[in-house]
Amino acid sequence: MLWYKAWLETRSRFLTCLATLTIFCAVFVRHAQGLIGPGWTADYNRLLFVTQQFLVIMWILAVVLLGMGGIVREKAIGTSSLSLSLPVSRARLLAVRVGTGVLEAIALGVAPWTIIFLISFLAGVPILISQVVFYVALLLGGGLTYFAMAVLVSSLLEGEYTAPAVAFAVVLLTAIIFDAWLRPFNLWRMVTGDSYVDRHTYLLAGHFPWRGMLASMSGAAVMLLASIRVIQRRDF
Amino acid sequence: MTNTSAIRTHDLTKSYGRLTAVRGLNLSVAPKRITAFLGQNGAGKSTTIKMLLGMTRPTSGDGTVLGKRITDPAENRESRRKVAYVAEDKPLYGYMTVEQTILFASSFYSDWRPDEAIRLLSEYRLPPQRKVKSLSKGMRTKLALLLAFARRPELLILDEPSEGLDPVAIEHLLQTLVTRAAEGVAIFFSSHQISEVERVADHVCILEKGCLLVDASLDHLRQFYRRIELVFPFPPPEREFRITGVERIQTKGHQMSVFASSNAQDVVERAHNLNAVSVEVAPVGLRDIFLETVKEN
Repeated sequence: MLWYKAWLETRSRFLTCLATLTIFCAVFVRHAQGLIGPGWTADYNRLLFVTQQFLVIMWILAVVLLGMGGIVREKAIGTSSLSLSLPVSRARLLAVRVGTGVLEAIALGVAPWTIIFLISFLAGVPILISQVVFYVALLLGGGLTYFAMAVLVSSLLEGEYTAPAVAFAVVLLTAIIFDAWLRPFNLWRMVTGDSYVDRHTYLLAGHFPWRGMLASMSGAAVMLLASIRVIQRRDF
Repeated sequence: MTNTSAIRTHDLTKSYGRLTAVRGLNLSVAPKRITAFLGQNGAGKSTTIKMLLGMTRPTSGDGTVLGKRITDPAENRESRRKVAYVAEDKPLYGYMTVEQTILFASSFYSDWRPDEAIRLLSEYRLPPQRKVKSLSKGMRTKLALLLAFARRPELLILDEPSEGLDPVAIEHLLQTLVTRAAEGVAIFFSSHQISEVERVADHVCILEKGCLLVDASLDHLRQFYRRIELVFPFPPPEREFRITGVERIQTKGHQMSVFASSNAQDVVERAHNLNAVSVEVAPVGLRDIFLETVKEN
């Protein structure tokens, strides 16, 4: 039933984000199709690449929102003593919330690209499924780090609006700092596919960035473990 | 059910920086009894309860709930399976309906009684499909009580359980507490409603500034606590009455008021020896005991 609770707690946020992302991608791609003239192939691939840029921005905002919540927020709104009086460990409370958030984040990554794939197919401009998989894998593999960061921030900071404000600020600051001084390690460029796109064909090319993925997943794991530690030690 | 204490604490202390919310608390709550936990706002009642349930870690000291150590997260979690708890602010998830809340809570406890939940739902007139966030304060309190009473726990911990309830619901609550205690449940509850406590409690603990000042059965309090009003032909010497059991002395002119937790007879004898003109001994209600205890400290 903890999964059920987590779903009830996040469903309005999740469904709003899902609808927004999916409709945006569908409308953007459908509308842009009409603007593309003859010799469309590279232009269409470029359109998909641009779509991924917008999708990444919206997806990260969405997963940061999904990462909010948990018993620290419950403390702020006065419901933490109900959750904490259950015969369940704090680690499990957090794990279920993270599990639900990850599944929702996956859905938020997969659904828009599925719609894009279908719209392209129906419009007679089929795109390679390998490209779709590449984009989705980059988004999820790298982007979940932002979700983990949001979970950590929401474990550290109380207040219904403080945690999301700080989490969004962290996203913005890391994007600026990494882009300015640590470009090779810029997670944003990896997630958007900017580091792997062929500038002539606008197709994602080369090997899948396993090392980058592993590094970002490890970062996410460390942040989630830190969140568990913080929650376990915290007084409510 | 064991015959050992349902709750036992040993030098339990909780500090927040320089502020000590609970200091050296040695508490014992007997099984099958109703123990009231009294204190002013900020006396440390809720902090104590939170430590018992593992929500807050003690700064020092330890304790057990149903024989399980409160400082061991795994043991504390195990004890919570057999404890029903109603918190002071009646926390419930606003995004759930009444029915979803009941379904959610029932899934965690093997001692859940579905028939009792249905009966209470009807008795409390709670609308199953209504979202918790749209319930009135009284209805939220009833729902929180339903979640506790629809189980067969070994220990019931209630923090201000009657807050927001109408007189009929309060009456029902008090009767339920007495029935549950008779069924063998240990009940530990905090309240500011002293008249309610006086009606149902077997044992009373009074906490003030984190210290346990009174820990006695209600019968003991009724038997030994006395207010003695004395009138003398001269200004009475207070020091003559500062004996064991005398908690507070107030002197005004030739009159003296002595509040005693024991030894009332000795006070009377001393008054007679000092040629008191008038000696009146009156039993003291729990309200006065509480107020005098708190005032004294």
